[in-house]
Amino acid sequence: MLTRGTLAYIGQRLVLIAFTVVAVSSLVFIGIHQLPGNAFISERVRGDRLELVLHEYGLDRPLLEQYQEWATNAFLHGDLGQSFVNRGLDITPLVLRELTVSAEVGGTALLITIGLGMLLGVVAAIKQNTWIDYLLTTTSVIGYSMPSFVLASFLLLFFAVFLASATGGAFYYPLHWSGTYGDPIQLSIPAFALGFPYASIVARLTRASMLEVIRQDYIRTARAKGLRERVVIIRHGLRNALIPVTTILGPLVIGIITGSVVIESIFTIPGLGKEFVGSILRHDYNITIGVFTMYALMVGVANLVVDISYTAIDPRIRY
Amino acid sequence: MATAATAATAEELELAGGTVVREQVSLWVDSWRRFRRNRLALIAAAYLVLLMVDAIVTIFWTPYNMSSVGLLQPYDGPTLAHPLGADSLGRDLLSRLMLGAQVSLIVGLGTQVLVISVGVVVGLVAGYFRGILDTVITLILNVFYGIPDLLVALILLTILGTRGLFPIIFAIAVTRWMDMARLVRGQALSIREREFVEAARASGARPHRILFGHILPNALGPIIVQATFGIPTAILFEAFLSFLGVGVAPPTPSWGSMASEGVQAIRLAPHIVLAPSLALMVTLLAFNFLGDGLRDAFDPRQKR
Repeated sequence: MLTRGTLAYIGQRLVLIAFTVVAVSSLVFIGIHQLPGNAFISERVRGDRLELVLHEYGLDRPLLEQYQEWATNAFLHGDLGQSFVNRGLDITPLVLRELTVSAEVGGTALLITIGLGMLLGVVAAIKQNTWIDYLLTTTSVIGYSMPSFVLASFLLLFFAVFLASATGGAFYYPLHWSGTYGDPIQLSIPAFALGFPYASIVARLTRASMLEVIRQDYIRTARAKGLRERVVIIRHGLRNALIPVTTILGPLVIGIITGSVVIESIFTIPGLGKEFVGSILRHDYNITIGVFTMYALMVGVANLVVDISYTAIDPRIRY
Repeated sequence: MATAATAATAEELELAGGTVVREQVSLWVDSWRRFRRNRLALIAAAYLVLLMVDAIVTIFWTPYNMSSVGLLQPYDGPTLAHPLGADSLGRDLLSRLMLGAQVSLIVGLGTQVLVISVGVVVGLVAGYFRGILDTVITLILNVFYGIPDLLVALILLTILGTRGLFPIIFAIAVTRWMDMARLVRGQALSIREREFVEAARASGARPHRILFGHILPNALGPIIVQATFGIPTAILFEAFLSFLGVGVAPPTPSWGSMASEGVQAIRLAPHIVLAPSLALMVTLLAFNFLGDGLRDAFDPRQKR
């Protein structure tokens, strides 16, 4: 699989990713430093002390010099600087810790998206034009018309409010994330809210391409050979039906990464997305720049991984 | 199916000795006939007309003043006089919900106006002139596709600073114009090879005349469909931004910010989050159904 062509392609893509990350981070850095005021005004630091603080953060130097230093620290040493609001707090460890939480939720959401979406799509295609098909198709239209925060509110209402009071508090889903890793119930509900809209899109695509595939001659051949229906559908049908679905994997991963910003805010999950929104609202711009740079890097790498995985799913694709 | 049936009757008529004069209809009339048969799309269109009427009416009149705090007790449930109850500041929820349609519709339509004007020009130029121009435009498109749209919009709004409607429309359009440009580019690539374009070129038409007089009118159907699907995306986007607290400034109600206030009090007063969420969902569904209907009407071959 890893031919020389593929390696050269990966190299090319890595250069492009590096270029994008540097370009995006510099634009954001310069843009954000154009904003009037700074995080320290609220602290009522005035006169000499303000100048001292500004000097400490290097904010009194020319912008390009500031960016140069930030970029050297960030890209060569992995040091994203310090928070403006919680002075002395290093951003890199903070962001890395939050990244693991986000990855946990996002990874589960991705599993739900692909697993549930494919399952629903295949079932709808096999049962074409029955009530099951209509039910699933309608569900998926509603699914991708429903903003994830709406679904999240409904889920919260059901699990945290309705079920809790219906069972007299025996069933308890916390309104706020308590930060325990790997609690499956606590994890699955935000992940479901995050993944379901995309699962609907996957289901719709899988259904359409599955319908086309199961009319092909090789499926009839497989059936005629006397293969069991399950083998025909999964090995001969689904594998080929997957190819069109893979084309939206890239946008899907980006969607889940950006969607997590909202979901984490609702469920108060201490992840990267919540930090990003919080830092904008708190004017803690060093964190905003740091987290955004991480996001740009993640999206670039995710797209690359998706593109490479095409070759595994469809051997006809070569780079 | 439907065309086969009409052909059969025409044949039968001919066999019966009658003369058949095929009616000449334009693309638009033909599309309208197909659209009319799609019940779901018709219901969606009717709902959207109602929503627009609502948005216009609320400019002049709402049941109660949308910003009068303490009109009711905060978190009051629905009553006959206030069918949707009160929000967290004791304001009438129905009035705010009705007003919220304004923001959604303005953002949805406004974004598409910007997207169409940029996307059509860029797409036409790339598709028609091809060459280095096309390569550069495609590269730019791919760079834009690679950025996380919501995050860029968030940062753009922060940098723009103000929280009016136009910055929001601008921020959404900047991150969402690529689909339109790519579609128009594809259309231009295929239409430029057709005979009537060659004829126009042979008779000495200038490029801008070919682009806007010959290629654009023939690509209008897909453009309208794409724009219809773009509206719910933009509305959703605005709701997300307002939900996160960087959208429309209070006290102007937006469904996103109303839902965000509602989530804070979800245990105490679930009606505050339910009302804007349902309104948003139904509106997005309606635009999606309308888009499906238009797509089937303009291009029956694509019907799924």
